[in-house]
Amino acid sequence: MSISNLKEMSLAAGAVAVTAETAGAAKKKAVEELIANIKDKSDKVRAEGLLIASDVGAPAVKPLAKVMGDKDVEVMRAAKRALWKIVRRAGRPSARDERKAVAAELIGLLGDGQPTSVRREVLWMLSEIGGRESIKAIAALLSDKELREDARMVLQRIPGRQSLAALKAGLKAAPEDFKLNIAQSLRKRGVKVSGYPCVKLVPTKKTNVKPVK
Amino acid sequence: MKRKDKLNRREFLAGAAAGAAAVSFPYLVPSGALAARGRAGANERLTMAHIGVGGMGGSHLRDMVRRRDRGEVNIAAVCDADENRLAGAAKTAGAGVQPYRDYRYILERKDIDAVVIATPDHWHAVQMVHAAECGKHVYVEKPACCTIEEGKAMVAAARKNKVSVQVGSQGRSQPEAYLAHRYLVNGNIGHINRVDCFHYPSPADNNPVPDSEPPAELDWDLWLGPLRWRPYNKRYCHGVFRWVLESGGGQIRDRGAHVMSCAMWWMGADGTGPVTVEATGTAPTKGLWDSAILMEVTYTFKNPDWTMTWTQMPNDKLPKAEKRTGKEPGGRISRPGYGAIYRGDKGEFIHWGGDGGTWAEKKAREWKLPAGAKDVYKSPGHKEDWFKGIKTGAKTIMNIEAAVGVANLCVLGNVSFILGRKLHWEPVKQEIVGDEQARRMMGRPQRHPYHL
Repeated sequence: MSISNLKEMSLAAGAVAVTAETAGAAKKKAVEELIANIKDKSDKVRAEGLLIASDVGAPAVKPLAKVMGDKDVEVMRAAKRALWKIVRRAGRPSARDERKAVAAELIGLLGDGQPTSVRREVLWMLSEIGGRESIKAIAALLSDKELREDARMVLQRIPGRQSLAALKAGLKAAPEDFKLNIAQSLRKRGVKVSGYPCVKLVPTKKTNVKPVK
Repeated sequence: MKRKDKLNRREFLAGAAAGAAAVSFPYLVPSGALAARGRAGANERLTMAHIGVGGMGGSHLRDMVRRRDRGEVNIAAVCDADENRLAGAAKTAGAGVQPYRDYRYILERKDIDAVVIATPDHWHAVQMVHAAECGKHVYVEKPACCTIEEGKAMVAAARKNKVSVQVGSQGRSQPEAYLAHRYLVNGNIGHINRVDCFHYPSPADNNPVPDSEPPAELDWDLWLGPLRWRPYNKRYCHGVFRWVLESGGGQIRDRGAHVMSCAMWWMGADGTGPVTVEATGTAPTKGLWDSAILMEVTYTFKNPDWTMTWTQMPNDKLPKAEKRTGKEPGGRISRPGYGAIYRGDKGEFIHWGGDGGTWAEKKAREWKLPAGAKDVYKSPGHKEDWFKGIKTGAKTIMNIEAAVGVANLCVLGNVSFILGRKLHWEPVKQEIVGDEQARRMMGRPQRHPYHL
């Protein structure tokens, strides 16, 4: 290889590194701009954030989740809506890599370091775009008293053998007071379940209102 | 009572409950006991129960009380998740009517022939399916379903249990709807290839409030029912549930289920569906409500080819309402903010409203049916049509198949809006194709034990 070729290669590698660095900086700037818009006190500025959210994509998932814990209820709502916009865009046909990138970020938010309200919302986002890579983290929440019902429904919605297997395993492991719920999901997925009958028609709630005499 | 042989487990439970209740409350003899299996006798009074008695449900109850006072029906029970509304309904219905919080007590009672369901939209499918499974005839408010999966379950339950279902898109039963229908099917504007539905915008939540504890009179768990759990917020209920996508869905569902109902019927398109659906719109930027404020949806039908649009537009863009004397069959136009324009190759026709008020353009009202021309079904009234269905087995004017077809249009419009992309729809199988995320949104897992 000639020296001139080496020089050319070196310049090209440098250009790629610079391009990657520039792209990284641009992404970082886009996330910062999005978060600044979403946290703004003005709903008009927040609306601008909602317009750009889906283009920012996966890098904005965790920063937006953090804003979902904001004390200002309108800021919290805007962050939630922006995150949903990312999820809805990522789930489009022929965007497999984008979907996987967003789903991976969402899975990272299911841990107990996040507020329950955020984890619940993230579960439902995964119900739309989560694949088999998300099943283990969702199934783990079947033992979480506050989130198990959402986790159960989300597993019901995600197609495939893995989610079905997680529900079956969940039925075995569940405490008695939750087995009926999982049995409901298994029936919806076409599995025959014995020992835990459907109770949908059994009334339970009494009124205090008396009939007119 | 019908279907005795199919309800073994429930009958056991029902028998126990009925036995306990009978001690304190006299039950009515169901009309079906005096007639052919599954059908009330032609001259027998039907025994009714009302599930959901606020808003539209209150109107239905007052209407049924008038019918009872004329000796046409019995009223056995009222039900609501809000104790204040329930107490008001018990008072309206008067002595001899049992109040319940949980509708499933009503479904256990063998003396009740039929139920009127006017709960928030997210309850319609579950309660209709349960009622059908317990052998009750059903009048259920529109829109029929919130998801494609719910609609399929409603149709299957009505067919399997052979109950009569009327859905509350009562526009089909209005006198001027009949006049419009026969005018259009007789080719007065030629071949129609486009229907443009118009409506004013969905409201924005301009008074947002944070989540709070539910009021003492409201059973929040029961109000939510099949929906995933979330904290109570005043902006969910009562009537304003309409502006939340999950529970109402905005004007496209609330009024689309009326205006598009007329369109599908008059176009002879019941039982069909579009092949593509594409929506755009503006989403709210604050508050709890998330339905599209402005919206434009295009539905493309094939074989025969025609297009329907649904547009939520600013008020100043709406077509002007026709001036009237008040002596027309439908009287003056009291709700000019919605309707549809039918575009044919020989002219155009417009109607306003589409629900309890349906107003046809003058040329359709004045058109006389020539000898040999095609006449169309004239509803005796939306409830009368339902009673006829119960007693004779005749298909109701807004039967569950037709109503699900219309509700699906509303659902698909919203799914396309939410996802921001065009959907491809297989109308025979009733499935979205080629979009995994949208396919998952055809159904929505329901909270235990409030499920289909």
